[in-house]
Amino acid sequence: MDFDRRGFLKVAGLTLLGLSVKPGWQVFSKEEPAEPSPGAETLARKRWGMGIYFRKCWKEEGCRDCIDACHRIHNVPDMGTLKEEIKWIWKAPYEKVFPEHEFEVTEEDYQQKPVMLLCNQCDNPPCIKYCPTRATWRREDGIVMMDFHRCIGCRYCMAGCPYGSRSFNWRDPRPFIKKVNLDFPTRTRGVVEKCNFCVERLAQGLIPACVEACKEKALVFGDLKDPKSEIREALKFRTLYQRMPELGTKPKIYYIL
Amino acid sequence: MVLTPRPLGIEHMLDKQTKIIGEDRVLFEHIWKTGKNFYITISILIALVLLGLYAYITQYLTGLTVTGLSRQIFWGVYITNFVFFIGISHAGTFISAVLRVLKAEWRRPISRLSELTTVFILMFGVGSVLIDLGRPDRMLYALRYANFQSPLLWDVCSIATYLTVSSISLYLALIPDIAMLRDLGGRGEWFYRILSLGWRGTEEEHHRLDKAIGFVSVLVIPVMITVHTVVSFVFAMTIQPLWHSGIFGPYFVVGAIFSGVASVIVVMAVLRKVYHLESYIKPIHFNNIGIFLMAMTLLWFYFTFAEYITVVYGNEPVHMAIFWSKISGKFAPLFWLHFTLCFVIPLPILAVRRFRTIRGTVIASISIVLGMWLERFVIIVPTLTRQRMPVQGAYYIPTWVEWSILAGCISLFMLLYALFTKVFPIVPVWEVREGREKAAATVAGRITSYMPETGAPKEQSHQVS
Repeated sequence: MDFDRRGFLKVAGLTLLGLSVKPGWQVFSKEEPAEPSPGAETLARKRWGMGIYFRKCWKEEGCRDCIDACHRIHNVPDMGTLKEEIKWIWKAPYEKVFPEHEFEVTEEDYQQKPVMLLCNQCDNPPCIKYCPTRATWRREDGIVMMDFHRCIGCRYCMAGCPYGSRSFNWRDPRPFIKKVNLDFPTRTRGVVEKCNFCVERLAQGLIPACVEACKEKALVFGDLKDPKSEIREALKFRTLYQRMPELGTKPKIYYIL
Repeated sequence: MVLTPRPLGIEHMLDKQTKIIGEDRVLFEHIWKTGKNFYITISILIALVLLGLYAYITQYLTGLTVTGLSRQIFWGVYITNFVFFIGISHAGTFISAVLRVLKAEWRRPISRLSELTTVFILMFGVGSVLIDLGRPDRMLYALRYANFQSPLLWDVCSIATYLTVSSISLYLALIPDIAMLRDLGGRGEWFYRILSLGWRGTEEEHHRLDKAIGFVSVLVIPVMITVHTVVSFVFAMTIQPLWHSGIFGPYFVVGAIFSGVASVIVVMAVLRKVYHLESYIKPIHFNNIGIFLMAMTLLWFYFTFAEYITVVYGNEPVHMAIFWSKISGKFAPLFWLHFTLCFVIPLPILAVRRFRTIRGTVIASISIVLGMWLERFVIIVPTLTRQRMPVQGAYYIPTWVEWSILAGCISLFMLLYALFTKVFPIVPVWEVREGREKAAATVAGRITSYMPETGAPKEQSHQVS
């Protein structure tokens, strides 16, 4: 067989195209299951959730025990401005969180009362699919995780999250941490962070820091899959609210009336 | 005649030169002659590029805190630039590829300048996203750990394809001109020799080149449509109010062609003036593109109307909150300014024949380009104030860093453009010449082929040229 240059280019081109079909197909078609966590099966037996009692939470005005406990152990900096604020758990007025509960005839005084907000640890988290690098993913026990070392800081997950649960490090946060907890990583500038449901404490058999810190026991935590757990008891026969349930994200934070 | 071999003397060289240059001396002149104004322009541009660079270094060293962005409004000028620059890049495809496919003869002198706009501005579109990253040092993680579920990865694929195809298209149409420059000799001959790929200009070569350009022109059109569609998907795929809209794909594509064609008119006017191309880029070009631009103005209005009327009629509080912030709230000045610039000013200018002069179309185009930048801003920023979320005091005022980087990007674009014209002719000489020599005959033949057959049915002619 003799080739002229055109013929050679054609054959070479087609060969290259043929060789790229398989890897190309693999890249685009395979619904790559996220690499399972170590002990995925054990994890999958649990589904962590949290309940928040409005009334108990409102007993002591101006209390921020849970916020301080969380932010202290997770090295969350106090940036001092609304612009660069970083928060894992925080307060917002009831009327802003549940605007749908406000009616013309409402006379109750709870509209200005604070509601604790944190990452909803959704079963169907809208944030994770936007991440171009899989720096955020959902663990088998339902915790939405975040890898500070892989995050490129595009902030697309923040656009994806309808709850505003994610914060961005606009500058190096370390000088703004009062006392660094050496058991938990600090972050660099340019990455996103959020509540992690205290995975590092769960691994040691401890409950989340915010739950532990609450003197009024306004926060309950536990395994939603276990019908006898404390959380399931707390949620039983109560009126429950979730933030924006209509979005179908299936939050794991329940507000208990 | 006695055939005596003549030594290759200076006379012969000059002879050859005149033959190559022909009547189109002015098209080569901007490569050879560099005036004082050029150096002044270049210096100003370099100064602005350095300012942008300084701003970026500041941002790189201290973090995005130096911008006006905040926890609530975390996307601003950079993402606006991303959408805007990539929008402008749609011009090249429209003017060059679409008109080529439609066999519009008047496209010849302006095809390269629009393709060049595409290729250069596209890089700044990509660059804007990288500038926006919190950790630019990790940008390659997007390839290493690529998550193809993320619309950002769709952008990467689509824009990379578009950049490749439009670069190829630009280069293919450059080859015959590069060969001319090679044959003219002089400085940089070795450079042109490599790039010309041994082009000799035979019939056969021209035939193949035509086929290749034709193929690329057809290929690039769907690629172009995917580009701005997936750019819009970055927003439309989220569930944020006024972003989560099915109309965003076509709306963004229309806006992209709209702003892109307008910027090509501006580029045409500048080059015409600066490089004395009056006899190549004529009022008829501005008129023809102006008519198209008028159609795009109406189409843009149609999409904007359709986008907002569905929101208003549905009257959902979450969406209406953002809507009112644009119509009468804190974004109202920007919203109405963008509407005026995109519609109220350009439409009458472009619609009336008397105003559709070079000056008229350029004024309308500048208005559209500015208006479309604002449009992107007004689409991106108000949604992030997120009335749905318990947020107080969301505000966004871009800082000097963002404005300097924007100025730097535009200046670097112009700088690259100016340097290109020092190396290659900006009007495709061979295409213009081909038009001058052959187009009249082919067009006449084509028209005959459209006409109804008269008299006795002759042999069916299938020839379409």
